[in-house]
Amino acid sequence: MTDLFFVKWIFAFSPILTVLVLMIFKNWSGSRAGAAGWFVALITATLVFGAHPELLAYSQVKGALLSLNVLYIIWAALLLYNVVNETGAIKVIGMGIQRFSGDKAIQIIIFGWIFASFLQGVAGYGVPIAVAAPLLVGLGFSPVVAVAVPAIGHSWSVTFGSMGASFQALMAVSGLESAYLAPWSAALLGITAYLCGIFAVYVYGGWKMVKHSLIAILIVGTAMAGTQYVLAVSGMWTLGGFGASLVGLGTGLAVAKLKIYNQTSPSQSRQEMGLWWALSAYLILIAVVSSGVMIPSVKAFLGQVKLTVTFPEIVSLKGWVTKAGTGKGINLFGHGGALLLYSSIISYFVYRSKGFYKPHALKAILQKTVKSGVPTSLGIVSMVCFAMIMDHCQMIYILAEGISRVFGSFYPLVSPWIGLLGAFMTGSNTNSNVVFGVLQQQTAQLAGLSTALILAAQTTGGALGSMIAPAKILVGCSTVGLSGKEGPVLKVTLRYGLLITGIIGIITILASLIT
Amino acid sequence: MDNFFKRHSTRLKTTALILMLVLPFLLYAAASYNSMLQVKLLLVLMGINMLYVMIIE
Repeated sequence: MTDLFFVKWIFAFSPILTVLVLMIFKNWSGSRAGAAGWFVALITATLVFGAHPELLAYSQVKGALLSLNVLYIIWAALLLYNVVNETGAIKVIGMGIQRFSGDKAIQIIIFGWIFASFLQGVAGYGVPIAVAAPLLVGLGFSPVVAVAVPAIGHSWSVTFGSMGASFQALMAVSGLESAYLAPWSAALLGITAYLCGIFAVYVYGGWKMVKHSLIAILIVGTAMAGTQYVLAVSGMWTLGGFGASLVGLGTGLAVAKLKIYNQTSPSQSRQEMGLWWALSAYLILIAVVSSGVMIPSVKAFLGQVKLTVTFPEIVSLKGWVTKAGTGKGINLFGHGGALLLYSSIISYFVYRSKGFYKPHALKAILQKTVKSGVPTSLGIVSMVCFAMIMDHCQMIYILAEGISRVFGSFYPLVSPWIGLLGAFMTGSNTNSNVVFGVLQQQTAQLAGLSTALILAAQTTGGALGSMIAPAKILVGCSTVGLSGKEGPVLKVTLRYGLLITGIIGIITILASLIT
Repeated sequence: MDNFFKRHSTRLKTTALILMLVLPFLLYAAASYNSMLQVKLLLVLMGINMLYVMIIE
């Protein structure tokens, strides 16, 4: 690397470095650090990489369009979660599971791995840890184990969870189709599912308990990884995490009935709402998404209104050309977010007709959705917008070229670590994919590697970053009385998060040899 | 001042988010009409909005 190139590389890295330093060392939130990163990107792009007002203007519109695509899903997913949670159904689902087995290993598997993944499938954004941790404490697990187990257990389902918001972000920034990206992403995340299950059990009971639970982990892991793969490659990636964990729940409850896991008597507690009523919103979701994705006439009908914006060719003052074309369009009524929205509305009326809501429930649902949706959205928009400035000024290309020159053919080993770093610093797989997706794509192209494989490693690393992201650990700790004592939990999740990422790096480099 | 930010936190953040999503489209319109003065003005507004996000957190 020449000296001049190295200096340029450092400047190109400065916005990302700013976000990293502010979030890790100064404990800034994602939105605040994202805004600071935006400033650094704007200044560096203008002074060093030849950005001009017109370039900045068009890059920001592209950023807003990309953000809207992701936010549509995030807001609708949050709305659905609050529609369900306001009835108390999430608690009912948890208690319903508890009635199946008194075996500690099975409880860890069902609550910390499957149920946490299920919550990731329907909500995400820290909800899996926040909901599963108090339930585990209630079952007699220590607070540290209660937070660490769901943090590790749910990570594999982050990319295709939350109705695939992170995968949507990966497609949006890379401009690649799900049919190309899904197979490798689902494969790597499927392997991660087994590893998350194994280490979630290990945290509580060591290898002895892993040995005791091995049959359950193998059966449930295969059911979840297989279902996620089938859903993702058949175009239903919005249901990937949710569908997989739902099948996992069914399989887990069946496995819990096996003789080896049925030595201890289960809980006899009863709830007012039946389990099927509690699950009804998710059954409605499956019906709506399946119709919207699989029935051609419905898909065509919903896909009639698409918002697109055309952009001219943009050339930076340094000569970097961004080709003319349309930005990421929004399929207004057929988007994953729209399907979630329909499900939320139908579910709300179903629950209301059965009298499951208290007075003024709708107001509470909307308030909770706004309260959790706004900070997440601010972080996403600011980071997408600075990533777009970087993309239009060759900054991401320079970063990619530098990494490619240093690591060469060993790059696949590093790619999941980049995803992990992104999620650690931003607290989100989606943000990690937005910030590093294009960088990984361009590096893969320069190194002659499979883009699908490298982006799969990126999003797998990003998903694993969820278990070590301070933002999520903080949420979990606050629900079990560990506020201010996050260190021991982070120590546990860091150990296994880094170990699993290392394993995924080795698998990625081996896979790169055959692709 | 701190009290004000705490009390109206959600409202202030929502306003910032709406501005973040609306300003780029105004920028697009200004850039399409080659109105560089408006583009520069709107970029300054975007910068102020980002500063606002950093303050209200």
